[in-house]
Amino acid sequence: MIKFSRVSLIYPHSTTTVIEDLSFEISEGEMVLVMGHTGSGKSSLLRLVNGLVPHHTGGILAGEIIVDGRSTRTSKPGELAGIVGIVGQNPIATFVTDTVEEELAFGLEALNFPNDVMRKRVEEALDQVGLAPLRNRDIATLSGGEQQRLAIAAALVMHPKVLVLDEPTSALDPVASEEILAILHRLVHDLSVTVILAEHRLERVIGYVDRILLIEGDGSSAIGTPSEILKKSDLVPPIVRLTRALDLEEVGTSTRDVRRITEKLRSDLPESERPSHIAGRALVSAKDICLSYGEKEALKEVSIELRASEITALMGRNGAGKSSLIKALVGLMEPKSGYINIDGVNLMQIKQSERSQRIGYIPQEPGDLLYLTSVNDECSRADKDNALPKGATFELLHEMLPSISGNSHPRDLSEGERLTLVLALVLSGAPDILILDEPTRGLDYSAKNRLMALLHNRACEEGTTILIATHDVEIVAEVADRTIFLADGEKVADGSTLDVLLASPAFAPQVAKVMSPRRWLTVSDVLRSQELSE
Amino acid sequence: MSTSFHPLTFWSIFTALAVGVVLSDSAISAFLALGGAAWIVYRFRGDGPWRNSFKWSLIAGLYLIAIRALAGIVIGVPRLGDTLFTLPRIQLPSWMPGIRIGGPVTWERLSFSLHEGLIIATVIALFGAANSVTSPRKLLRVMPSRIYQLAVTLTIATSVFPQLISSITRIRQAQYLRSGRRPRVSQVAIPLLEESLGRAVALAESMEAKGFGLSKVQSRYRPITYSSRDLIYIVAGFIFSGAMVAL
Repeated sequence: MIKFSRVSLIYPHSTTTVIEDLSFEISEGEMVLVMGHTGSGKSSLLRLVNGLVPHHTGGILAGEIIVDGRSTRTSKPGELAGIVGIVGQNPIATFVTDTVEEELAFGLEALNFPNDVMRKRVEEALDQVGLAPLRNRDIATLSGGEQQRLAIAAALVMHPKVLVLDEPTSALDPVASEEILAILHRLVHDLSVTVILAEHRLERVIGYVDRILLIEGDGSSAIGTPSEILKKSDLVPPIVRLTRALDLEEVGTSTRDVRRITEKLRSDLPESERPSHIAGRALVSAKDICLSYGEKEALKEVSIELRASEITALMGRNGAGKSSLIKALVGLMEPKSGYINIDGVNLMQIKQSERSQRIGYIPQEPGDLLYLTSVNDECSRADKDNALPKGATFELLHEMLPSISGNSHPRDLSEGERLTLVLALVLSGAPDILILDEPTRGLDYSAKNRLMALLHNRACEEGTTILIATHDVEIVAEVADRTIFLADGEKVADGSTLDVLLASPAFAPQVAKVMSPRRWLTVSDVLRSQELSE
Repeated sequence: MSTSFHPLTFWSIFTALAVGVVLSDSAISAFLALGGAAWIVYRFRGDGPWRNSFKWSLIAGLYLIAIRALAGIVIGVPRLGDTLFTLPRIQLPSWMPGIRIGGPVTWERLSFSLHEGLIIATVIALFGAANSVTSPRKLLRVMPSRIYQLAVTLTIATSVFPQLISSITRIRQAQYLRSGRRPRVSQVAIPLLEESLGRAVALAESMEAKGFGLSKVQSRYRPITYSSRDLIYIVAGFIFSGAMVAL
């Protein structure tokens, strides 16, 4: 279905090739995962499939790409609309119209399909992704998962043979992402659609894909079955780290496989406790806060406590009230009733300048805080803002990320580097509370590990109170001491991470699923038991 | 309910009302038209990002009346009548005859200014009301096919605004939380520009990938048709407007 022969790509005004001498073939009805570090050219590769690169972006393409018998060199992306459907990284930015039905019809209208055909196709696509009840809804009112489903449906109306998706689950909670993957799985198996997707959260997709295409930033690449590729890759999901750490011969990619090969281990290993964590005093206490937007209640009598030297995770489905709670905690929204105290002083009574000093806030888009033209400039502004000696912030940044250059433009940094820069800027003010909103979106495993080490260090060494709102179960399992779970504006769970995550099947991390009923969340939990037995 | 109306229905009603208000030039008809508009908006408002345009246009109208009244008090041509109070007068050079700053403020001058402000504000509010009940995008959908491509282009241009506003709020809040001060324009503008460019490119790519612009002729999904209910509303609107002018 898709054939890349000796493909190389270089963008204009650039001296390095994004993709070098890449050859592979994908046959009909295959589901292929494209994997690689951030900035390794995954998105470029995906957009080569329908010719958006280089027709839309510019750049020089060497070699030949044949999709369903047509060369992308001679066919424009629009001419391939009936063959390749593409779903971008941020679906909301790619919607052209106001409502669900109109969006689905847009592509068909553009290619002048007769009305009766359009009606049938729209109906079909709505059913395929389960959006029929929302057909007349305004797109802006859809949830993240619904928007992603709509983007997929908008590609499906064209009856494509190939569906290309760039990080389809990165913004979604575990439940919504399961729904998306189930839809893709069905498309592959029932309709023999060829699916190519890129995703950083391997643990979510690994069980669904037939093959993996691994591209390294240096131009080398490999394609093979998941177990072949994961055997040698350094980007691996927790489940593979587990089999590696236990020195097992096989590399299992599904919970079922690994459960099978670890059966003996599960029953033999002794019980082990997670090292107990000593939290400091309660620094932030929120009592019975209610918050509403117009008639919609966003928070209903939520009480939480954040303690010094403790990392707390805030979880829940999209729209459960996580963002509202964060807005209340940083003082952007005053609760309708209830109060939030910091060190016994009501948050609303503290001046914003003092609040900013005490509460470090990392927004969902770290780039929102960057506006200068170099890393050095951003750092020296932070020095000035926080009355630090010159170069102090850059030193901090350098400690966190030794490879960073002070002269690079913030916009040229990768997602992970940019997040680290913003963290350094905020941490240079030495806040005693740090709040992060969905920090792991778009990060690969190495960037995530760096972030986790940094947060852990902050909490233990400096005694910082940390709150992370996230969908990323694995990061919660690794770093959070305590987990708070919100659902529909109410607090439904608040306790040690171990108890909370094990209680909910949808939000359980991969290792926990494999090791159930044993109470282990991460690879290190299992290893600790192994050490005990020796 | 608003979905079952033809997009042109409300636009023609509100246009008729606006013409009626301007021609009749009376405060009573202006208030009547505003009342009618408020009822229609209350009853048929959509749920899109434009739904609050009426409210915003009313607020803009109030500002406009205030500014017009202030200008009427301070600057202007003398009008005879009952003097309410007298402002100190500023002497202007002789080459600016007929213009006066300060001086006696008469009741007639004040009421004339208020009246004029009211008429302009009403016209603005009526168009705001039209936007509240029918999104401009829906209106573009019924444009003749010859300008359909232009209409789609406009649609996309308008789609940027609601998102732009939410992005500005988000970036301002993030910066405010970091420094505790209201951010300067450049601080917001640069991340905003970056994001908007990214969005624009993503949108253009998505349209290109869906084959937009390849075919000269485009078909229409669910063409919108007139119903008798539309006709009744339009006729009612025109009668209302005609009555205002006649009285």
